[in-house]
Amino acid sequence: MARWRVGVDSGGTFTDICLFDEDDGRVEVWKVSSTPDDPSRGIAEGVEQGMRIVAPENGDTPASSVAYFGHGTTVATNALIQHKGVATGLVTTDGFRDLLEIGRQKRPDLYDLDADKPPTLVPRALRMAVPERVKHDGSIDLPLDEDAMRGAARELKKAGVKAIAVSFLYGFIRPEHEARAVEILKEEYPEAFICSGHEIAPEFREYERLSTVVLNAYLGPVMKSYIEKLTPRLAALGMTATPHLTQSNGGVIGFSTAAAMPVRTILSGPSTGVVAAQVVGELAGFPDIITFDMGGTSTDVALLKGGVCKLTSEANVHGYPLKAPMLDIHTVGAGGGSIAFVDSGGFLKVGPRSCGAFPGPVCYDKGAEEPATTDANVVLQTLNPTHLLAGRMPVRQDLAKAAIAKLADKLGLGVMETAQGILSVVTANMAKAIRVISVQRGHDPRDYTLMAFGGAGPLHAARLAKELDMRRVLVPRNPGILCAMGLLLTDLRADFAATKLLPLSPSSLTPIGEAFAALGARAEAWFDHEEITADARQITRTVDMRYAGQNYELSVPLPEGPVTETSLEHLAEGFEEAHRQRYGFIADGEAVQIVTLRIEAAGLVKKATLKSYPVEGPDASGAIIGKRPVWFPEAGDYVPTPIYDREKLKPGNRFAGPAIVEQMDTTTVVPPGMTARVDPYLNLILEVAA
Amino acid sequence: MTFLKPSLAVPAPALDPITVEVIGAALSSIVEETGEALIRASYSTNIKERRDCSTALFDASGNTLCQAEHIPIHLGSFIGIVPHILKLHPTAGMQPGDVFVGNDAYAGGGTHLPDIVLAEPIFIDGAIVAWTVNLAHHSDFADRGHAHIYQEGLRIPPVRLYRAGELNKDVQDLILLNCQVPHERLSDLRAQMAANRVGVQRFQALCAKYGTDVVLAAGEALLDYAERRMRAGIAAIPDGSYRFADVFDNSEIEGTLPLSVEITVRGDAMTLDFDAPDQLRAGINMTHTALQATAYYVVKSVVDPTILPNAGLARPLTVTARAGSVVSCTHPAAVNGRVQTCQRVADLILGALAQAVPHKVTACSNSACTVATFIGQRKDTGAIWVYLETMGGGSGARHNKDGLDGVHVHVTNTSNLPIEALETEYPLTLLRYELVDGSGGVGRYRGGLGLRRVYRADEDCRVRVDVSRLQSRSWGLDGGGAGGHGGVECGPGVVRVRDSLTLKAGQWFAVVSPGAGGYGAPAERDRAAVTLDIAEGVIDLPTAREIYGY
Repeated sequence: MARWRVGVDSGGTFTDICLFDEDDGRVEVWKVSSTPDDPSRGIAEGVEQGMRIVAPENGDTPASSVAYFGHGTTVATNALIQHKGVATGLVTTDGFRDLLEIGRQKRPDLYDLDADKPPTLVPRALRMAVPERVKHDGSIDLPLDEDAMRGAARELKKAGVKAIAVSFLYGFIRPEHEARAVEILKEEYPEAFICSGHEIAPEFREYERLSTVVLNAYLGPVMKSYIEKLTPRLAALGMTATPHLTQSNGGVIGFSTAAAMPVRTILSGPSTGVVAAQVVGELAGFPDIITFDMGGTSTDVALLKGGVCKLTSEANVHGYPLKAPMLDIHTVGAGGGSIAFVDSGGFLKVGPRSCGAFPGPVCYDKGAEEPATTDANVVLQTLNPTHLLAGRMPVRQDLAKAAIAKLADKLGLGVMETAQGILSVVTANMAKAIRVISVQRGHDPRDYTLMAFGGAGPLHAARLAKELDMRRVLVPRNPGILCAMGLLLTDLRADFAATKLLPLSPSSLTPIGEAFAALGARAEAWFDHEEITADARQITRTVDMRYAGQNYELSVPLPEGPVTETSLEHLAEGFEEAHRQRYGFIADGEAVQIVTLRIEAAGLVKKATLKSYPVEGPDASGAIIGKRPVWFPEAGDYVPTPIYDREKLKPGNRFAGPAIVEQMDTTTVVPPGMTARVDPYLNLILEVAA
Repeated sequence: MTFLKPSLAVPAPALDPITVEVIGAALSSIVEETGEALIRASYSTNIKERRDCSTALFDASGNTLCQAEHIPIHLGSFIGIVPHILKLHPTAGMQPGDVFVGNDAYAGGGTHLPDIVLAEPIFIDGAIVAWTVNLAHHSDFADRGHAHIYQEGLRIPPVRLYRAGELNKDVQDLILLNCQVPHERLSDLRAQMAANRVGVQRFQALCAKYGTDVVLAAGEALLDYAERRMRAGIAAIPDGSYRFADVFDNSEIEGTLPLSVEITVRGDAMTLDFDAPDQLRAGINMTHTALQATAYYVVKSVVDPTILPNAGLARPLTVTARAGSVVSCTHPAAVNGRVQTCQRVADLILGALAQAVPHKVTACSNSACTVATFIGQRKDTGAIWVYLETMGGGSGARHNKDGLDGVHVHVTNTSNLPIEALETEYPLTLLRYELVDGSGGVGRYRGGLGLRRVYRADEDCRVRVDVSRLQSRSWGLDGGGAGGHGGVECGPGVVRVRDSLTLKAGQWFAVVSPGAGGYGAPAERDRAAVTLDIAEGVIDLPTAREIYGY
């Protein structure tokens, strides 16, 4: 019986399913509308529908031949963007309840007097200050006042909060007070979601740790209820494989860990797209890539230089500091479903409000009245004016046109100009996002290939490339489900770390050895839990070090084998080399301090491999399935445009714009002045005509 | 869009707007990256955590090409140093790897002595094409007095710290012997070197990629572009003369000082003329470069905060003040606390511009930079320790929303030191860190709240405080109320003499920063907003009843 690896990417608008047959490498894709009121329903429906088609022999248990289930979700990030977390309470050390608001005392913008900070997630009335105090050396200055703690717990319960964050000073050095506070909270209010600093982010710097714990509490019940709904639905389909969820660093964790630590999954969805883009780009011969993942509600962009996307351990997510490992991805709240409107100043604006899957754009005829970006594309006929999703979704162009006509009246413009104007505004917003990750970080976008995916990416990519003066766009074979595919292209990964301030000297050999042994044991337990066979287990050890007195560390790999004086010498040399490379000097004679010991555990799994196909002739006419007038701004009019079926395009085929390429999960626009070719991996490569 | 031709001997390369934009963004990413290197390699809490440092690139003649978004007042030192270097040292004698160090307010272009600048010329094909410059506020030169600049620390004119990449150890030794915490100074100077190294490499790489002439031409085009944007913004302000007056008071001086400004807008140019009493025997005097940096910052914020921070934006502005006055001091005036006065001057400018563009300014912010500087001697090692920190306060209410609580405003922008770093590094315990209830000026929109920080000394130490708005209060606009006072609170046994405190182990004191002014009449405040104010505790019920008729 075939064993299937299943990847599910659940976005705000669509849920994408990717099915990979472990035995013969066959890849099938499936796409269903998301169900934002309960995303688990759409996921279960999609998995069921997909599995029934590829494995009809499973009968009543369609998912029984699923050997691996990987899942990327935007549940946490959407709840944060829309400020739809739960009512959250906070318990802090007495004297410091305002720290959550004060932060690092920085204003939100250096020059803009109009700028505001994002809303504080816990209002002052729900921030309880409890007498207790630990010092930096782990000594107790003031014992926890348990009566006051119990009083705070009762008050928060009375206030009706759903989640409670506990974060005391130095909780990461001496967690007793936090642990006791959590116990008391659980006694008084067991129904609440409770988390604390030493569990979620056991690291130095109280404000960033506090912010992370508060985010975790704010999002915890949202993620927990999501997973509690999804798990039985998958079980009901007969699935026995352990489900996994992608973390923001591109690796995966089990569902139970994700429910307890939603902050690690803030970038779950988009990180899988980056993993997939890396594989596709390298195979296609373009390791320098800017990803452009445009979905229905949001768009993610990332930069890969030499196939590598930078990892950050601390980031600012929608204005909130967060300590968790994550890929350097920039998100904007705009996508194909973003609603266009005329603002009070009479200017055309698009987003950040989105029509979502329900009611969807006006053309879906589900009751929407305000036009979305998708409606503009339907009116311009860059999107099929009668149906989407390969015929599964009928659309009403007349309704879209009428909705845009209302905007056009307000603007005093024609309907077509207004529709095109919507796309121009969207393109400019997207270009701004790409500048953040490229030019603002010293990279020239013109040196990169734009990889377009997500349901709406290929539709807008050529215009965006033009805006940024980029010459090449790569549209992967299955752009609409690339994120889901990424779930099947990644090894299992888990990171284990321990903060131990030790001098880099032989006196530390024993504690270093012990710490790595403990980390190794945790990694082995994880391998066992994931049922990874001995030959597929891979361990990498690194040590973060600095000169005693500095605040930022440099990471140096530790050679394999037991930790000896020789390995310490390796570390010392590695540190000096890294310091010289980064800063141009070494401080001879200064003490080097070990800060964090890390193990990266990888479970090498059988991954989906992308097949290559023999190159055929350049003639693409066999893939033409029709012709329709498409409105192009270059012509200011409809231009008769050939429609290509992506399924029928063969490696080696070439054609020139204007052209439209349709496929189940997306539509690619090849504007006048660009040419398209198909590579052996069935990627579509658009280039500015010579 | 047109771009003026660069003044180069070679024909100007063709410049398209995208290339200029890309190079402009690359320049700002270079200064941000050099800043990151400085912060990461540094040792002192003032740099590594509080980020009291800045980086910039200059063209060969000393015009700011780009300043990183760190601390606006540091521009004052930047605009001074390169011209001073060029005056003292012939460029013909400069070589790659020369690094100049300087800090002096009168012979080095600095604004106060702790801000030590390292400037390095960037060579391409044997010629200087630009300068990479960085400044770190070395938390040193403490507890020395501020009667005149000779008391305030070591005066360093721009001299070579490195010659052709080789350390000039004699100079370094001289500097370090004059510092109270020499080990930290040495480490931070090394971090400043690391930052300049990044600046040199990145700028050379940029030139290699686009061609030196293109980069330099783009640099000039960016100055012109900033100037055009600034002029367009000023042109949108109604022509006229706008006067505003306030007083300055703080813990270092007796009584209050009258300060005023007259701003004249004519077409696309603006003149700012300041009036202030004669310079004092106190550290609150401002150099003229500090006055310029303050004016450039405020006008950019009001006119268009997105204008590139380069020398072009200063071209339409004329900043004048009587030499020898508190706001444009001359040798040998002390200047250590110049930021106190700069903050008040920033609000002075806002007050004047409020008459012309009331919706683009804020009510008066806390108008201070509240500082506590600690000095002590370690019981165990005998080493001297110095720790300086600056506190945010209220920021002024806007015409359509409340001000921000507890933030750094105007020409300062440093982070607080994490409590967990403070207590690990120094024999201090922070007992409370909180917003000051009721300190925001009332109004349709309320002013931001001040901060209170309560410290306990765990070993004997001395503290110097800069607190402000002790007698005066930060003003509101359009009927809005004034913000709360700043202050110092001393626990039992603490000995206070004006701005100096002596603490024994176990004693405590608190520093309070001022609140900011409100905007609009209190009667117009939304009732729901008042309800929230009461629930959040930012105003008490009796006051709410009295002021808002709640």
